[in-house]
Amino acid sequence: MSESDFILLQMRGITKRFPGVVALQDVHLSLQAGEVLALMGENGAGKSTLMKILGGAHQPDAGEIFIARKPITLHGIADAKRQGIALIHQELMLAPNLDIAGNIFLGNEKNAGSTCAWLDRSGMRKRADALLKRVGLDLPSSTPVSRLTAGQMQMVEIAKALSQNARIIIMDEPTSSLTLGEARQLFKIIADLRKGGIGVVYISHRMEEVLQVADRITVLRDGKWVGDLSAAEATQEKIVAMMVGRPLSAWFPDRMARIAGEVILEVSELVVPGAGAGVSFDVRKGEIFGFAGLVGSGRTELMEVLFGIHAPLAGAMRLTGQSYSPNGARDAIDRGVYLAPEDRKRNGLVLPMSVAQNISLPNIANYGGRAWTLMRAKEKKVAEQEVSRMRIKTDSVTRKVVNLSGGNQQKVVLGKWLAMQPKVLILDEPTRGIDVGAKAEIYRHMAALAQSGIAIIMVSSDMEEVLGMSDRVAVMHERRIERILPREEATQERIAALMTGALR
Amino acid sequence: MRRELGMLVALLVLCGALWWSNPNFVGQSNVFNTTRQISMLGILSIGSAFVIITGGIDLSVGSMVGLTGVILAKISSNAEGGMGEPLWIGIIVAMAIALLIGLAQGLLITRVNLQPFIVTLGGMLTLRGVSQTIVHGGNVSFSAFRNFANTSIFHINGEPAFPLLLLILVGVAIVSAYLLHFTVFGRYIYAIGGNRDAAEYSGIPVKNVETLTYVISAGLAGVAGICYTSYIQQMDQNVGVAFELSAIAACVLGGCSLRGGEGAVIGVLIGTALMKVIEDGLDMFQLIYHDSRGRAHFWKPDDNWKYIVIGAVILIAVILDQVVHLFQQRRRTRAAGAMAAAPSAFPVVEVAK
Repeated sequence: MSESDFILLQMRGITKRFPGVVALQDVHLSLQAGEVLALMGENGAGKSTLMKILGGAHQPDAGEIFIARKPITLHGIADAKRQGIALIHQELMLAPNLDIAGNIFLGNEKNAGSTCAWLDRSGMRKRADALLKRVGLDLPSSTPVSRLTAGQMQMVEIAKALSQNARIIIMDEPTSSLTLGEARQLFKIIADLRKGGIGVVYISHRMEEVLQVADRITVLRDGKWVGDLSAAEATQEKIVAMMVGRPLSAWFPDRMARIAGEVILEVSELVVPGAGAGVSFDVRKGEIFGFAGLVGSGRTELMEVLFGIHAPLAGAMRLTGQSYSPNGARDAIDRGVYLAPEDRKRNGLVLPMSVAQNISLPNIANYGGRAWTLMRAKEKKVAEQEVSRMRIKTDSVTRKVVNLSGGNQQKVVLGKWLAMQPKVLILDEPTRGIDVGAKAEIYRHMAALAQSGIAIIMVSSDMEEVLGMSDRVAVMHERRIERILPREEATQERIAALMTGALR
Repeated sequence: MRRELGMLVALLVLCGALWWSNPNFVGQSNVFNTTRQISMLGILSIGSAFVIITGGIDLSVGSMVGLTGVILAKISSNAEGGMGEPLWIGIIVAMAIALLIGLAQGLLITRVNLQPFIVTLGGMLTLRGVSQTIVHGGNVSFSAFRNFANTSIFHINGEPAFPLLLLILVGVAIVSAYLLHFTVFGRYIYAIGGNRDAAEYSGIPVKNVETLTYVISAGLAGVAGICYTSYIQQMDQNVGVAFELSAIAACVLGGCSLRGGEGAVIGVLIGTALMKVIEDGLDMFQLIYHDSRGRAHFWKPDDNWKYIVIGAVILIAVILDQVVHLFQQRRRTRAAGAMAAAPSAFPVVEVAK
């Protein structure tokens, strides 16, 4: 096949640093015309950064990019488009208020044949209809995008890429919002694109899909290139081993000498909004119960149900033996169930307020003195205790939280809960985006808290963290608990296989 | 406090300039009148501030001033078109209606999840229409009520020197400052304005607190409306038109952010005073100059300029604020960058998005 020997894209020695962290180090990638290349790796392995560089959104610190063997520099997204690179985001970027044709030519209206300022609607529609036919979408291009299903929108995105004469199409988790039938349709179109000599970079976590659609697989881990596999030699086991194979570091406190106590939280057949089936588990006193899974596997939604933010569709919960069905965060807090949310800047902290004000916030009603006066001296004292207990680096408790580093912000979130009496402490991604030093400190606090008899539920996408901290690990996949593994049985390979659906 | 200080300086400079150009500016009758104006707008603005600090907006307060005034005049006036009931009945009915409308708007915003701008825009139009329907295009005179606004707590040289209305404003300001700055309820308000989601996740009764701010706003608009009725004594359908914009402008001048979470009662008072001094003081400004024959002339600014001046002052205030803010942010980023660049065992990891 001489045509497919034509190398469309080569990225060599790509390195990208962000303040204090190397996101990509000496990464290689090549793509031939008419080839589907799957890019795989755990969350945070550097896939998105690499694709953002290819899409022109980031500039690499080192490395070269060749398109059709010619070296190029991408200064911005427009540059990448001009080179025939189209990126289809996981969250589709369509304007729901415009029709299909309007979306396909959004930002490219002039190409529709009109050089004047007025919109050549009929010209755009005619061209759009032809493109829709090519992607197999049987709808008039005057249909408003708000009426399309997720799958149809995906087709429109592909048509849009084709309208810009894309030679390289990057698809980021394209099937994450598609039904099985829609996904099949997508694979058919990918096969057509491949025949037309277009190179596709396919990012996905779903093993079966990758093995079905890809010609070759490139695996990244911790920002480094691990290796390439051809479709013929690739197996799920091989890919998983390449994705996770790294040693556990020694930051984790020794968690051997503990005995789990009685059950504190009991969850049975709880159906989270958006889930098809219920989940059941129990959490014991003094235990760290980990939740592993991919982003979007329903862990955060489950935690928000436990914390009373959303009501479950069905099922029951019991807290220390009594029925527990929180109606709002206030209820959960009053019962001793606290949540340190995944997105601390959005849900965890009031950034323009001070450290002391944030720490007192969930318990503020108890700071009311005579004539409703806020007891600021008590507030300050409690905050200072938490600052010294959590070792929050701040010159004063009156400093605004927005001025603290990520690690210290997270410690404020923990401090605000520890200033009260938690029974169950839910930590959603407790160390996301914070430095290693603060990470180790947070791990020590978690271990100490568990020791003191608090039940900790930890959601984490960091495999080392899950393995290093959890006494038991529940692995979630598509909003179900695939399996609950005790510490001894939890291995990286097993968890990775369970959470990608490779193992049932 | 930065914004409040800046506005205080602007206010003092403006008063100084007006005094220098026209000594009548500090004349007792002018001061008495201007403080009455400030008092009424101040009561209204403080009410708006409660809403604005939670990140909402209340466009209905101007119409609320008109409606409470019209209702009060209609019920209690002995003049033609009035029902001649006792004053206290008129006040109670007007206030009850104001509070109920505030509650209804608050519930629509928090329980039906409608946007504050739209709900209170609807309220603004509807209430205006109700006022029009009540007065039927004419007006209701209520001159018997004039003593209230004319009352002075004490006199200097036999002239009124301290309006009762100012005492009411001081009372409202003290209670509001106490609520906002010293109570748990006040903390709720700032937390909601600072980050509604985090407040919710901290177990704060966000919806109830927000609803209450609209009740407070409507209630203080009712108080302002009653004061205004006594001040002008002639209630027609246009009373209070655009007052909501003056109130919002006073809040913004005084350091409230329409994004919520920022602002203080003292700032709102300064902002209100600034608004009113520009509005009422501009026509007192005069420059004396002499022509070639040595005759003295007065130069006075066109009275129509006052809105241009107010608009410009608002824009300059927010632009300056933003410039200072950007400057501080850049300094902070630089400091953080230096920290990250320094050799450290704890590298800062960027939040992957």
